[in-house]
Amino acid sequence: MIQKSAIFDFPKSLVNRPIISELIKDCDIEVNILQARITPREDGHMFAILRGPEADVGMALDYLAGIGVRTTLPAKNLILDEDRCVHCGACVGQCLPSAFFVDPETQRVVFDSDKCIACGLCIPACSYRAIESITEHLRKKGEL
Amino acid sequence: MPKTYEEINERIRRKEVVVVTAEEMTEIVREKGAARAAEQIDVVTTGTFAPMCSSGALLNIGHTTPKMKIQKAWFNDVLAYCGVAAIDLYLGATELPEDDPCNKVFPGRFSYGGGHVIEELVRGKDVRLRAVAHGTDCYPRKTLETTINIRNINDAWLLNPRNCYQNYNVAVNTSTKRPLYTYMGTLLPELGNANYCSAGQLSPLLNDPWYRTIGIGTRIFLGGAPGHVFHHGTQHNPDVERTEGGVPRGGAGTVAVIGNLKQMSADFLRAVSITGYGVSLAVGVGIPIPILDEEMAKFTAVEDSEIFAPVVDYADDYPQQKGSPLCYVSYAELRSGAINVNGKKVKTASLSSYTKAREIAETLKGWIATGEFLLSRPVEPLPGGGAEQSNT
Repeated sequence: MIQKSAIFDFPKSLVNRPIISELIKDCDIEVNILQARITPREDGHMFAILRGPEADVGMALDYLAGIGVRTTLPAKNLILDEDRCVHCGACVGQCLPSAFFVDPETQRVVFDSDKCIACGLCIPACSYRAIESITEHLRKKGEL
Repeated sequence: MPKTYEEINERIRRKEVVVVTAEEMTEIVREKGAARAAEQIDVVTTGTFAPMCSSGALLNIGHTTPKMKIQKAWFNDVLAYCGVAAIDLYLGATELPEDDPCNKVFPGRFSYGGGHVIEELVRGKDVRLRAVAHGTDCYPRKTLETTINIRNINDAWLLNPRNCYQNYNVAVNTSTKRPLYTYMGTLLPELGNANYCSAGQLSPLLNDPWYRTIGIGTRIFLGGAPGHVFHHGTQHNPDVERTEGGVPRGGAGTVAVIGNLKQMSADFLRAVSITGYGVSLAVGVGIPIPILDEEMAKFTAVEDSEIFAPVVDYADDYPQQKGSPLCYVSYAELRSGAINVNGKKVKTASLSSYTKAREIAETLKGWIATGEFLLSRPVEPLPGGGAEQSNT
């Protein structure tokens, strides 16, 4: 069994289609929807966790890609600046799924991107500003 | 046989000194006992790295032509205190730019302030300086706009009135309403998390609980360079309740420290932006402890399971100065990742970097082992300490 958190961007054309039902029926996986919304532009964004045997989760992701849903794995939604991180652990207390944790041996903070649910609570908790969202990162670069 | 500072320094000079970190000392004492450890070990190094308010830089910028008696000055738009002398300016770590939105949009980000200017100075970056004065016959200049660099100003000292807190609160939030944005980090409601801030068994003053060897004049590691303890710190309070081993069960002793900022490194001096609170400076401090006798060996063998911190509610008790700690927990429990408060399992997080604390203790150990760094006997003990200085 594996678990993958992912952000799905649905084009306008797919917003009325019950895609998650299709996923559950056809790929036989569990889906836990954490956030979902339709924007004023009528496209949709969903943040969900997919759980099931690796092959089935893979099939689900392929299926979504095939019908035009863009998938972002949340590790890519955070940018960690290793140079600024001092391994204090302030992020650890905010991280509900324990994607950030302290390695008991080395006492260093480790990030397990598979567990991240992209809630973003760690970002303001980091006083060293070592964690940045992709949105903020791009905005700063003037690319957005 | 007790050792003297002079004997230990002679061994450092001859590169024969036996120096270990406080973590290693715990193991050694456990294996060999305090008496044998005291015979074999000369120095134990400690370390801590955490946001430490009550830090700042004293900068003497050198005279301009014509000369100026500066009355108000801003480094990168952050106000410095100028009421010391003509060109002696004190830049506090927690000072904010005058146009900072602070908490107007709550919680504020506090992305820049005094701590950041200090970090940029240490990194060798140019910093904008703007100053105004009323002008006198001897100091006629009235305005100044220039850039300065740490390399070309007269003096740059890190001058911190209170660092190295001996133990500290564990902060929680019992309110049901909302997260609290405090200097102890973001505290989630309904005991959502517990934040603590001490290097515990590696922390300097917890390894010398009665300040027998740490006093005025003690030579230390400060921000990556040698520095000194120049006084007891503000709020120093040795009279806090203690364990049988003498370890305070809450914030107790503090030290005031000073060092040459020009020699320091951003690896051990880092600006922090504390959401909803403000800015500050994370400071790395390491203090060597001479193992004069068996008692010092025992003190430096202290471990996390023997150090207890009060769990304090920051929802109401802390700001209103009322109530009492919800409970006491050991640093071993805190470091395990969760503690029990009011029957609830609460996730813990450290604001103090144990990784950096280790790095500091190791670096200081290296300086001493290679004969670069000698110990200094305090010229005066801290209040409440130094009872046993007779054996030297």
